[in-house]
Amino acid sequence: MREILPRLPATRIPGVVEAIEGLVNVRGTLLTVLDGHVLLSQPRRAEDEGAIVVVEVGSRRYGLGVAQVVDFLEVPEHSIAERADLPGIDARLVKAVGIRDGVHFIVLDIDALVAPIIGT
Amino acid sequence: MDVAKYAALFLAESREHLSSCNQLLLEWEQDPAAADALGGLFRSIHTIKGMGATMGFTGVAELAHRMENLLDALRHGLVTVDVGTFQLLFQAVDALGRAVEDAAAGREGGSDAALTVALEAAAGGPPEGVADVATLVEGKRQHRRSTDAPRGRSVLIVIRGDAVMRGARAILAVRRAETLGVVSAVRPSLAQLEREEFDGRLAIRMESRASDEELAAIIRTAGEVEAVRFEEPSSWATAEPERHRQIRIDLDRLDRLMKQVGELIVAKNQLGVMAARSDDPPLTELSDRITRLVSGMQAEVIASRMTPVGEVFERFPRLVRDLSRDLGKRIRFDVEGEDIELDRSILDEIGDPLLHLIRNAADHGIEAPDVRQQAGKSAEGRILLAATRERNSVTLRVSDDGRGIDRAALLAKVRREGQSDATPETLSDDDVLRVIARPGFSTAATVSGVSGRGVGVDVAMTRVRALGGTLEIRSEAGRGTTFLIRVPLTLAIVRALLAEAGGERYAVPLAYVAETVEFDPRAVTALRNREALVVREQVLPTVHLRDLVNAGGRPAPARRPTVILEVGERRTALVVDALLGQQDIVVAPFDAPRGMPPYVGGATILADGAPALVLDAAALL
Amino acid sequence: MSHTVLVCDDAIFMRTMISDILAQAGFDVVGEAESGTQAVEKYRSLKPDLVTMDIVMPDMGGIEAVREICKTDPEAKILMCSAMGQQALVVEAIQAGAKDFVVKPFQPSRVLEAVQRVLG
Repeated sequence: MREILPRLPATRIPGVVEAIEGLVNVRGTLLTVLDGHVLLSQPRRAEDEGAIVVVEVGSRRYGLGVAQVVDFLEVPEHSIAERADLPGIDARLVKAVGIRDGVHFIVLDIDALVAPIIGT
Repeated sequence: MDVAKYAALFLAESREHLSSCNQLLLEWEQDPAAADALGGLFRSIHTIKGMGATMGFTGVAELAHRMENLLDALRHGLVTVDVGTFQLLFQAVDALGRAVEDAAAGREGGSDAALTVALEAAAGGPPEGVADVATLVEGKRQHRRSTDAPRGRSVLIVIRGDAVMRGARAILAVRRAETLGVVSAVRPSLAQLEREEFDGRLAIRMESRASDEELAAIIRTAGEVEAVRFEEPSSWATAEPERHRQIRIDLDRLDRLMKQVGELIVAKNQLGVMAARSDDPPLTELSDRITRLVSGMQAEVIASRMTPVGEVFERFPRLVRDLSRDLGKRIRFDVEGEDIELDRSILDEIGDPLLHLIRNAADHGIEAPDVRQQAGKSAEGRILLAATRERNSVTLRVSDDGRGIDRAALLAKVRREGQSDATPETLSDDDVLRVIARPGFSTAATVSGVSGRGVGVDVAMTRVRALGGTLEIRSEAGRGTTFLIRVPLTLAIVRALLAEAGGERYAVPLAYVAETVEFDPRAVTALRNREALVVREQVLPTVHLRDLVNAGGRPAPARRPTVILEVGERRTALVVDALLGQQDIVVAPFDAPRGMPPYVGGATILADGAPALVLDAAALL
Repeated sequence: MSHTVLVCDDAIFMRTMISDILAQAGFDVVGEAESGTQAVEKYRSLKPDLVTMDIVMPDMGGIEAVREICKTDPEAKILMCSAMGQQALVVEAIQAGAKDFVVKPFQPSRVLEAVQRVLG
């Protein structure tokens, strides 16, 4: 993960899969943004402000459009349980599952998330 | 030096070479297309010449020299081999054998005048130097002293009158001078020096931190230097007023400058939008002024990057010569339009595609001399590499007058793969290109070592497209094949037309826009079951941008502008919802996602800061 | 210590003559090569102070050999041995990195002068 940006207007790219939201202008450079809702099959909620999490996969950078950034976690290795099947989420995208303050969280496998849609 | 003790060695080694000459001549006569024999012959005769000259056997050296001239002319395809040539060469080898024996025995006989004349006539006159030295001054430099600022001066160098190869010696002197500074001009030119068009007096113009003494000393290390004199730079200026002062700039620096100008243009565009919205006359005025200044600056930076295509072309004559030798073919290679200029960054990328196409032409296009003659053509094939300037692009053409593409064979191959129902008659040039540009495609019956297994057109196609250019083919069976590469003048900054469709904006590079017209539903017709428009009595295939990009949004307006795209002689009509004007755009890199359609050529950031996609005109045709 | 030399020519005659000229002047001829390929190999193994290089040789020519040698050692001191009329090839050799040239037929004094110049 590189940085977090506010939601930016994206230019649609025709012909590509729905999970690609489009191109945004980040301080003069172009960034392809993926739609987190589509990728994780989660419904959109009207109250979400939206944000873009910039991730680096190999040498390429992508934006991941999310509903909101809740918190930053520093997760100690031992608090992460092995990945388990979760209802509604593709298990292949889940690296691990953890719990903090009684709330469950998922550690996403960004490579697996992005791999099917990045260019060759 | 007493060379007598080497006489036995000379005789033994010469005999060996002469015997191998006879063997090679026989082989070659059997198969005139086999070029290895010629190379071996040349080396043997050349060796005998060198040994003879060193021994002081002028008769041997003279005769060998004339034979060498003929062999060299044959090797470079300047003259053709026929029955008479073989006869002459056999005679000459015999004569050389006698001369060697006589000389070794201490009886230097006179030369055979008739043979000499015959050899000279067969060689078609004295050979000329061919390698080019224009790149010589590009050599690596080192500055040894940094105590003083570099000082410009003219240096006059005199090469000794009794020196051999004074031109090459002079070039060596220039090379030496370059180790202490930057040489900006050489008189006579390096090309003239190489041709020995030189009276021994060389003038160079250079910038250097070294003292005159240091410069003179380093120049003298080139050898055979009689004198080194220094003149004030002004005398050069009066002697040749048309010569501009030059400095060398690192290409990386020009690249950075270009990038900066690109960003400046994006910022300028944004300022223009703000000024227009502000309704503030002084701000609008300032914005206009900045626009003019930036445009001027852009033009200067682009101009400073323009380089004649000749810089890339100059490596090909040699390549074709070597290829024709390896392939046993006779090929004349012509170059046109070397002075046409292209952006350095494009020029750097265009060499490889050209190389592949020229290799293809030599290998698969031009036929062997006997095949050509059977087909009623001259034994010598021709490859032409030509550059022409068009509106905002440059066209590079590689043509050969060879066998052309065999459509029937091509179809047979495609049919085996079950991919086409076309007939040789209906297979268009575009179809041909689509087939041969497939990775790894090869129709060559025997896969020769030259262009390898199909790599060629596909590589050329990929590279050219990456430059925002296009590749076309025209081929006629028995008449030859022409490849056309079209590239924009410059890569970084493109003038584009902004079009709207379904509320989205797309940029269309102006280089490929022929004109814009109003969409007239009455002009709609059909072409091969697809929609077409009649524009100026020409039926053009038609694409609706909103359908192409699957744009939703408002319904299409009644009045719709139509952009006529043109690549080469091919045109297509692109119907859009609205045109939003022209803008200089900087094509920005981005990590393209999988499945991005081919008609998206790139992306850019518009004046208002929003990203927009750039359409690739060639992919729409 | 005397300078070491590698003599490259496809004719034994030429190699013998050049070697003799140089040996008589006190140079140490450490190797001979009769092709460009051999010249490159021997240059790498012998690391001579000076190379004399014929232009026309079988399998790999002298110019190509100069290019190969200079690729790994741009400071290599290579003296081209050319015949009359090989102007264009000499120029090509200079561009490839040859430091000087002599023209056949050889005069020992000219050869030695050139050798001295190249060795500085």
